Amino acid sequence: MVKTSLLILGACLFSGSIAAHEHPGQAPATNDFAQKWQKRLEQAPRLAIAASFDSNGRLWLARAVGQHLQVSHSDDAGQHFSAPVTVNATPELIAADGESRPQIAVVGEKVYLNWTQALPQPFAGHIRFSVSNDGGQSFSAPVTVNDNLEPITHRFNAMLADDKNVTIAWIDKRDGKPGYRGAAIYTAQSHDGGRSFETNRKLADHSCECCRLGMASDKDGTPVIFWRQIFGRNIRDFALARLNEPLQRASEDGWAIDACPHHGGSLAVDRNATRHLAWFTGAEKSPGLHYRRIDGKTMSKPMPFGNLDAQAGHPAIAAQGNDIHLVWREFDGKLNRILGMNSSDHGKTWSAPGELANSNGASDDPLLIQGRGTSWLIWNTSDRGLTVKQVGQ
Amino acid sequence: MKYFVLTLALLCGLARAEIQPFVSGSLAQIQNERAGRPFVLALWSATCTHCPEELRMLGRMVKKYPATDIVLVSTDTPAESDELARLAKTYGLSDKSQWVFAEAQPEKLRFEIDRRWYGELPRTYFFDARHRRDAASGLIPRERLERWITEHVK
Repeated sequence: MVKTSLLILGACLFSGSIAAHEHPGQAPATNDFAQKWQKRLEQAPRLAIAASFDSNGRLWLARAVGQHLQVSHSDDAGQHFSAPVTVNATPELIAADGESRPQIAVVGEKVYLNWTQALPQPFAGHIRFSVSNDGGQSFSAPVTVNDNLEPITHRFNAMLADDKNVTIAWIDKRDGKPGYRGAAIYTAQSHDGGRSFETNRKLADHSCECCRLGMASDKDGTPVIFWRQIFGRNIRDFALARLNEPLQRASEDGWAIDACPHHGGSLAVDRNATRHLAWFTGAEKSPGLHYRRIDGKTMSKPMPFGNLDAQAGHPAIAAQGNDIHLVWREFDGKLNRILGMNSSDHGKTWSAPGELANSNGASDDPLLIQGRGTSWLIWNTSDRGLTVKQVGQ
Repeated sequence: MKYFVLTLALLCGLARAEIQPFVSGSLAQIQNERAGRPFVLALWSATCTHCPEELRMLGRMVKKYPATDIVLVSTDTPAESDELARLAKTYGLSDKSQWVFAEAQPEKLRFEIDRRWYGELPRTYFFDARHRRDAASGLIPRERLERWITEHVK
């Protein structure tokens, strides 16, 4: 009898430990597995990055390593990078997933960093900011930009900087009394190179809670923000607004859903002030990715793109002269692929989609940035590292 | 001694009935274990704002219709297992089968579950006795859930 019970005990322990080590398909003992997983996560590189070219063609990169944000730069478009400099001396939890990522902008000797500090409370965060005044050699002590300091949602930061202003936008739940739909878009601006920020301002009520914001400069330099808004009770379509101006509805998909899509859109403004939008909807009549342009009051018909059966999603868009570039990600069951297509007539006609990069491992969403007179795909993967690839002429 | 063995086996079973890692092949396993029986596969996350309401409603339905078989699959990570178990308990779903995504590339699991699920949560699949399934994104209207239960759960 003792033998039998020992056998059962042994089998029980043995199956648990083997499963955790070799055979995750077999439902291992949970605690052991959770510990291993935690370790794996801590050691794994954080894939969501930020990248920007400065006016000299130097590529700047920010990535979260453990609880620190680190900045490095490359003078050969990503082939070699400088030794990283740590932004926050005091460790903190930095949000670095596809929808919520650090931001970097470089204007002259100023290197601006913006990120979301994740708080232990669910959905809670602070919008953080630091600046280097010496070309990225050292960084100011990080400050919290949101002037409401409750442990609630201040997340999904976006940033834009030029020689006059630094503008930060984010999703904020400070107005979230019972019955309030969704969250709000708040913004803050600095006019003194990041030394101080003006009082937070609300751009719009009733945004969706957990989709990244798109942001680009209008022809006159005013930031334009593009986000998923809740229209009516629960229609989660897109809106855009110039800073401190009323919102304009930007898509009419009619995606009525009480859910978190975790899927924001991307915005580019060309030199004629035409807005170019790329976004995702799950609306039954037209699910998937769409592109449209808005020229004054004229909106083009949404153009679907991407393979619906390959999880096509997370688009990025860029405008370069007459050229518009689109990239997005797909997964075919084995590989993550970045696909791209181009228009040379302001988005009226488009090339066929082509593959720009692929990965066998975990990967970030694709970024499109501008520099050296053209557009670049930036894509971070666990198996092939960082891809920096010219997509424009 | 017999009781000792039984207790041991039970404890062993209990230890393993906690949150299980959902990996490639887990959905097939879940379906095989329920061959010929209807069930609800509820995908959720501790970081999804609409999931608490959805899970609370599932909890109330289970109380009203105890024969309803619900499988909870969280898209968080195994590191959050304790929190997930605690949440499921507050929703009255602690005795339901619970799983958590355990894959560095969650897109692989999404692809295997449903190529046309884009990751929005909550996401619910109603499997009938022949395992033909209906999918729904977002909060399920209570009437729809109750209708499905009264039609499929005997």
